[in-house]
Amino acid sequence: MNEIYRISLEDWKHFTGTLSSSFNVYAPVEKNGFLDYTRISPENSGDIVYNRARPASPLKIFFLPVKLNVTVPPAEKKNNIIIGAPSCDVEGLKLLDLIYLDEKFFDGIYFERRMNTVLISSDCYETADSCHCVAYDVNPYSEKGCDINLSADNEYFYLHTCSEKGDRFINEHIAEHNIAHTVTSLPSSVLKRRNSATRTLINRTSKLPGNKETADRVKNEGHNAWYRYSSRCVSCGACSAICPTCTCFLLIDRPEFEKIKQLDTCQYPSFQRVAGGEDPLKELGSRFRNRYMCKFVWKPERFGTLACTGCGRCIDACIAGISKNELIMELA
Amino acid sequence: MTETATRTDTINIYKVVKASLEEVIEESPLIRTLVLRPERPFTFRTGEFIELTLDGIGEAPFTPSSSPQVSDRLEITIMKTGYVTEKFHSLKPGTVLGLRGPFGRGYPVEKFLGKEILILGGGCGLAPIRSLLYALEHVSEHLKKVILCYGSKTPSDCIYKPLFARLNSLDKFEAYRTVDKPEPGWDESVGVATVLLEKTDINIKNSVAVVCGPPVMMKFGTLKLLEMGYSDDQIYLSMEKNMSCGVGKCGHCMMGDYFVCKDGPVFTYDEIKEIPDIWK
Repeated sequence: MNEIYRISLEDWKHFTGTLSSSFNVYAPVEKNGFLDYTRISPENSGDIVYNRARPASPLKIFFLPVKLNVTVPPAEKKNNIIIGAPSCDVEGLKLLDLIYLDEKFFDGIYFERRMNTVLISSDCYETADSCHCVAYDVNPYSEKGCDINLSADNEYFYLHTCSEKGDRFINEHIAEHNIAHTVTSLPSSVLKRRNSATRTLINRTSKLPGNKETADRVKNEGHNAWYRYSSRCVSCGACSAICPTCTCFLLIDRPEFEKIKQLDTCQYPSFQRVAGGEDPLKELGSRFRNRYMCKFVWKPERFGTLACTGCGRCIDACIAGISKNELIMELA
Repeated sequence: MTETATRTDTINIYKVVKASLEEVIEESPLIRTLVLRPERPFTFRTGEFIELTLDGIGEAPFTPSSSPQVSDRLEITIMKTGYVTEKFHSLKPGTVLGLRGPFGRGYPVEKFLGKEILILGGGCGLAPIRSLLYALEHVSEHLKKVILCYGSKTPSDCIYKPLFARLNSLDKFEAYRTVDKPEPGWDESVGVATVLLEKTDINIKNSVAVVCGPPVMMKFGTLKLLEMGYSDDQIYLSMEKNMSCGVGKCGHCMMGDYFVCKDGPVFTYDEIKEIPDIWK
């Protein structure tokens, strides 16, 4: 753990292509202006986009698919390798792990997916306008939580192992090819890129309060902001679907006592409605507020971790143009 | 994620235990009790709930109404109120159902020992209470007194009719009923459930109160108990919400930072009084 390997850009490209024979490899590839995870093969391993801000899909989709039979899970033939996950998403996994790997009610399917995946995150050198990880003390690069973190300069990729699984992966799949060499530290070219991205984000988010201050503002806001902002909301649930930490789901029954777990959200009407008709989140405004309370107050209080990692996807995804950051700044 | 975690032999938390329906008891026009025989012994603590699945149709949470001392037979009392409950009402003996659980935190009976227990129930809320009463009967030598106050809309809506005479025949137990709308022949109280509380002779200092019923009764019952002098932490409430997964993950039953399915459904009023909209 904590080893740094250097590998040439060309060798890495070739290596990622060959991995697809024994793994399902996913990495961000740009299509029609959208960056999203794509299945990687020798043919497209050169198209992987590194070190740019988050792919459209959050990392959670690999561990909590939109729809999954949880009583008869499909047998996965190959293990997964995910390349290029941004640090905001890696940070989000902490909360998912706390919920799904709870001591008393351990979700074995989630666990298996986590164990069968090698997670290779990558630094963000280019950021999106809505990125604001630093506001919540998340750096635009990972140093833990992933198995390996990938940094790049013009000549090399640098692989920083952050877990024993990461070490094993390097030993089993890279060492034998004699393509990677250990180095003592990341070069200044990488540190400069990291610093530059961090500075950009700090400048951009200078007016945005940190997570504790945000929690206070959200908690103390009575009624107004939620109802005003939600008047534009159409309850489409996009903000939750693309959120790296939103995990709520619906259990659907199928014959033979099979159960299908399907991604759900508190933004949908009737999310909390009971058969008798009571519905604590009946009002659009109360559903809207619920999401903010959950992200900034309840989940952090309950699990001692962030529930918004500042990826900014919810801002980009909102078809009504509601900006979570504008709202938080207005709550001052 | 810690890599030391190597649990692969875990029980699938979404899989059911099968149980066959032995008998359907009609308690009232809207309420029936399903008597189930689980395929293996099924133990629970009173007040904990289960998820009951009708194969391919749906699943819903219920707190068993039977004695926690019995593990080969489980009684679930269900009010017909929505799609799944209507289907449960139409079942015939022999049907195979699915059970998950038990889940949540039930009644802390050990904390009730040595005390006078005032129980306020309404409508189908008497279901979890009946299970509690069985549990209390089991430890009655360590209790001072148990008073049950139960309200329903009409005399025909009263459930567990034989229960009241039986409780009144037991040492230390008293049971009272009231209805909103009396019918000819009704000689017990008339009015909402809280009217019965005024008639009780109880030493509040050495007492706990338990409330289970429809939200409006829970609210006014709690307010009445507070007015009588009960403190916030002496009042135990069954905060039944949309407990869907039962295992603290799906989010449907979140009430503030509580997962009702894991942290409840039984809460003291003290634990939840700051949360907005708890009675909805």
